[in-house]
Amino acid sequence: MALQLTDTTAPATAAPRRVPGGWTWLVRAPFILYAPAALFLAVFFLVPLGLVVWTSISEPELGLGNYAEFFASTYDLGVLARTFRTALIVTLVSLVFAYPVAYVAARKGGTIGAFLLGVVALSFWTSFLVRTYAWMVIMGARGPVVGLLVALGVEPAPQLLFTTFAATFAMAHMLVPFMVLALYAVMRRIDETHMRAAASLGARPWRAFATVYLPQSLPGVLNGATLVFITCLGFYVTPTLIGSPQDKMIAGRIGQEMEQLLEFGAASATSMILLAAALALFALYDRFFGIERMWR
Amino acid sequence: MAREAMSLSRPTRRHVVSAVAAGALAMPFVRGARAAEVLYVNTWGGPWEEAARAILFNPFTEATGIEIRTIAPVSFAKLAAQVRTNVYEFDVTTLGVAELGRANQANLIDKYDESKIAPSSLWPGAVTLNGVSSHAFANIIAWRKDKLADGPQTWADFWDTRKYPGPRSLQNYPARVLAFALMADGVEPAKLFPYDLDRAFKSLDRIKKDVRIWWSQSPQSQQLLRDGEVSLIGMWNTSAQVMIDQKLPIALTFNQAVIDVAAWVVARGTPRAKNAWRFIEFAVAPERLAQFALRNNYGPMNPASFKGLSADVVSRMPTSPENLPKAAILDAEKLAPQLAAMAKRFEQWLSS
Repeated sequence: MALQLTDTTAPATAAPRRVPGGWTWLVRAPFILYAPAALFLAVFFLVPLGLVVWTSISEPELGLGNYAEFFASTYDLGVLARTFRTALIVTLVSLVFAYPVAYVAARKGGTIGAFLLGVVALSFWTSFLVRTYAWMVIMGARGPVVGLLVALGVEPAPQLLFTTFAATFAMAHMLVPFMVLALYAVMRRIDETHMRAAASLGARPWRAFATVYLPQSLPGVLNGATLVFITCLGFYVTPTLIGSPQDKMIAGRIGQEMEQLLEFGAASATSMILLAAALALFALYDRFFGIERMWR
Repeated sequence: MAREAMSLSRPTRRHVVSAVAAGALAMPFVRGARAAEVLYVNTWGGPWEEAARAILFNPFTEATGIEIRTIAPVSFAKLAAQVRTNVYEFDVTTLGVAELGRANQANLIDKYDESKIAPSSLWPGAVTLNGVSSHAFANIIAWRKDKLADGPQTWADFWDTRKYPGPRSLQNYPARVLAFALMADGVEPAKLFPYDLDRAFKSLDRIKKDVRIWWSQSPQSQQLLRDGEVSLIGMWNTSAQVMIDQKLPIALTFNQAVIDVAAWVVARGTPRAKNAWRFIEFAVAPERLAQFALRNNYGPMNPASFKGLSADVVSRMPTSPENLPKAAILDAEKLAPQLAAMAKRFEQWLSS
């Protein structure tokens, strides 16, 4: 360890650097530096997670009964499948809304960019619950959308609230900020001269965008999509309050197992399955794109 | 001001030091004494807690010196978690009939015996499944008068979408909804329990597509009817009455109401069980319970509570002599063995 340290950090001519005042142990054992963080993670994340795993295999009796029951139940599998399908749709919808915003914010910059990002951040800072209730008002039977449709002569007045459409739309709205910020982080670093070079070589704007800009922005799309997809897997309040009764997602199922059925073991098993599914996605992402790129 | 006050009676350094020392020495005792005399009560929050605070909690503290702190909202899962972890956030809570049955099956609540509350302070039938009956609320049919001139009078009417068109809502709560479904199918209120599950779900199939939303919180049920999202709804008489009192175009009927009873229970294993039972005895005393029920449009379960209430007030209570014969009361003991199967089947039915 110490040898490596001298090799890489000290100038070749200097003698091995001496740490003054008896702090050499810090250099020899750098893990002491990250011990507090590791301890924090262990106490507040690993131990509770271990307890959930333990609950899932020990209640009501020791064994994998809860997992077997989950995978034997077409109902539970259906909820899981619906959760993934909803998350996929929400990801696509939020991408469609977020891409233009991030694009304009990144390329225009200045006041317009700051304004756009400010609006996105405002939404980002408002709680999910508040935004859910706002959507209930907007899509309600006496809300502005239905009012407008009725004024335009749509008969009979459509029902927006408590539909799959409403839930999907509202969830996409809540996750657009994540997508915009992920896209913006990548787009901001795309060199403007590339687009000008493409134009000077005769590419029309659309062609330049498709062959030069879009491919360079794809890492942002992937980051944002992964982030949005995995966040969406755990949505609870929005589908419950705005969606149709058939829209139950897996977090709602976990809540029901805890609150109404008092099946803590089954609820823990369902949570672990959700976690495993999310981890599997991360693993796939890592396999093809490299996880460290997500934070760069 | 402050300077003048100081110069008037200048405390010597010794005074200050000894006062601080005395305070510091006394601290652990003061805090210890206070901690022993606190009771944690799980409440529904909002107007419910305001009423409980004024009528039950504060007078209890005055009478006994035991401070009451509240935790909201009522959470059945938390009750279960407390007993598992031995960490008690609350000592006392109220449970409906179905939860009371489940709580007994899961061994979550303290057993009642006559040493806990003397029978002389209660009335015959006051204790069911280790819970002390407090107040009744009715699951009734309410509707918007601007959408339906004469509203549905029975659950069969509620199920009749041709005669009473419009979107509907029911509570996401099988123990109550299955009773509606059976009555809609012609079962008499007196013969509901235990439920014929197959018949109930067949009946539910007929109404499913017209139930736009299955509400879960009482403010949600109010919002649905107030905003006209639905034209008719199965909801609690207590929250419907609030809107009628606000002169909204809403009406309700106590016909075929399904009455649920809230019972006070003590969390099993809590170190404050003794004071918890003391509080329950205090809370169901006739006059106090009458006042509490009055504030919330509940029906008091203590028969002595009806003395001194005006006829007009009593007519709005689900357990009044006029309303009770039209209703069905959820039977905790007969429902208890069905609850788990019922909950699972309902859940799957709902999302299929």
